[in-house]
Amino acid sequence: MQNVLTRDNLLKWAPLLVLLALVLFFSVINPNFLSLRNFARLSISASPALMVAVGVTFIIIMGSIDLSMEGAVSALAVIFCYLLVWLGGSVAGLGCIAIPAILLLGAIVGAINGYIHVKLRIPSFMSSLAMGFVGTGAAVLMTGGNIVKIDDEVFRSLLTYRLLGFPLMAYVAFAFLLLGWVIQSYTRLGRNFYAVGGGEDLAHASGVHVKRVRVLGFALAGFFFSVAGLLQVAKLGQAESVTGANLMFISITSVVVGGVALWGGIGGVWNALVGVLIVAVINNGMIVIGIPDFIQDGLLGLLVIVAVVLSTDRRSVAFVK
Amino acid sequence: MNIERIKPHLPWITLAILVVIVSLIDPNFLNPKSMLSLAADIVPLFIMALGITFAIYIGGIDLSAQSMANMVTVVATVLLASMGAWVAVFCVLLGALLGAFSGFVTTRFFVPSFISTLAVGGVAFSVAQWLSGQRSVSMDAAQRDALFGWMIGRTAGIPHELVIAAVLLFICWFIERRTVIGRNLKAIGAGELAAVASGVSVSKYKIAAFALSGGLAAFAGLLFAVKLSGGAPSVANGFLLPAIVAVLVGGTPLTGGVGGVVNTMIGTLIVAVIRASMLYLDVNATQQQMFFGLILIAAIALTIDRSKLRIVK
Repeated sequence: MQNVLTRDNLLKWAPLLVLLALVLFFSVINPNFLSLRNFARLSISASPALMVAVGVTFIIIMGSIDLSMEGAVSALAVIFCYLLVWLGGSVAGLGCIAIPAILLLGAIVGAINGYIHVKLRIPSFMSSLAMGFVGTGAAVLMTGGNIVKIDDEVFRSLLTYRLLGFPLMAYVAFAFLLLGWVIQSYTRLGRNFYAVGGGEDLAHASGVHVKRVRVLGFALAGFFFSVAGLLQVAKLGQAESVTGANLMFISITSVVVGGVALWGGIGGVWNALVGVLIVAVINNGMIVIGIPDFIQDGLLGLLVIVAVVLSTDRRSVAFVK
Repeated sequence: MNIERIKPHLPWITLAILVVIVSLIDPNFLNPKSMLSLAADIVPLFIMALGITFAIYIGGIDLSAQSMANMVTVVATVLLASMGAWVAVFCVLLGALLGAFSGFVTTRFFVPSFISTLAVGGVAFSVAQWLSGQRSVSMDAAQRDALFGWMIGRTAGIPHELVIAAVLLFICWFIERRTVIGRNLKAIGAGELAAVASGVSVSKYKIAAFALSGGLAAFAGLLFAVKLSGGAPSVANGFLLPAIVAVLVGGTPLTGGVGGVVNTMIGTLIVAVIRASMLYLDVNATQQQMFFGLILIAAIALTIDRSKLRIVK
């Protein structure tokens, strides 16, 4: 144990320290912040964002980025609602097919995203941004600007049924987080993400099928976006073209603030969890101590810049666009 | 006849073909009066696209333009009573300052421009919500007409917006083609490392490009506020996508270095004609997003210079 305070160590643990400091800060100002009820509320608002953040983490590990989440989540949520209504309106009956169907569809949408990026050879931030717009447009087209309501008690139990004080959806989100962790740490695909992000040339030379890994990464992200869509529907009881609105800013902020380096190769799903919790604690804490919520976007924006600055090893970067 | 020789001419050929198609479907389209008002309606979008052109010209991107315009509609409306005509100067300077901040963060801290501008967009959105109290605000009609009425009137049937657009286009064209700044921006877009090696102060010019982008986005917001006689934190939503599309279909590739503001004018006209034709087909603005998203992908794929991207991330 030579020097604990190395740059690497500091970067690794800084997000967690920030999270703890924030929790301490808010609970000193208002003790109600530490209540179980408040944490349950926090978990409800964080669960869908966590799923989007986990999905996009895989992409950022590869050094790419996926900005399609808003459109993807909206479109998938709307399709899920229509499918559920068409199949009888309850997941207790025939409607249970709707859930795996939407997860599969999410993966397909993600794969299309990745395919466009890889085959047309255009930067992923632009191809995915464009696909996000397509998704939002598709959601408007399907709903005609209306709201699709779901009043299935069984499905809504994700929100209403509480276990140890937390709603079921928090556990579902945690289960999918574990799934993401297993994929990241114990599968060949997960290792290949890190290989591609660490250095694409090297990965290619070592026999990694880089293009396939990229498309699979986007497909995986799409899968997690569809989980986020499901949780959004469970949370709100409805779907419309703005169901996914604002998720882009929140999820990218979370992942970056959590310590996943934009250059790829560093970080993982646990960083995404810490990042989502930081963002959720800031949002929730500001309301609890009575600061108006409109400052959030500005604060988060500045936080992102600080996080990227801190996580960039400037000696290794020639220039940025 | 190879594709590389035709490529620079593709934008105006596309525009001509689109105009012919639309006017065959609806002969009224060629009516000068409707064409003029069509062009006048697109001016705020055009001004925003002019700004984004500079950011893309150097190989970056500005995703904050829409939030910037949103913020300015609110700032201009709220401060009109106390500042009078100076509010216009203030707004444009504010936009340029925020843009310069994006550029500063990008160049000095190595934050990719799509992240830094997204973050600055978040800041602008917060300012807009704070100043407006999360409602829409409106201008005093008499004061607006007295100070900024000249922006939206008509002289001899020509909408004044078009004159403003022409003046701004000329200024931007002059900066791009006739000044040292423009030359250096082109050098940076064509190859940043080569520009550094040639002794160009790259950081300075990149910050300038983002400042231009921010200032023009603010001007777009100002014009929008005058047109609507008010503002709101989300009034310009839906502008970002068509503005970026206008730049790219005009022929300025995402990799930068070629194209420029005149191309953006053609690109904006293409967007205007597509929008007009969609009205005939009864496709509303939000649904158009779907279509413009696909056009965006096609335009990037057609224009991007892949020799500059060894690895596509």
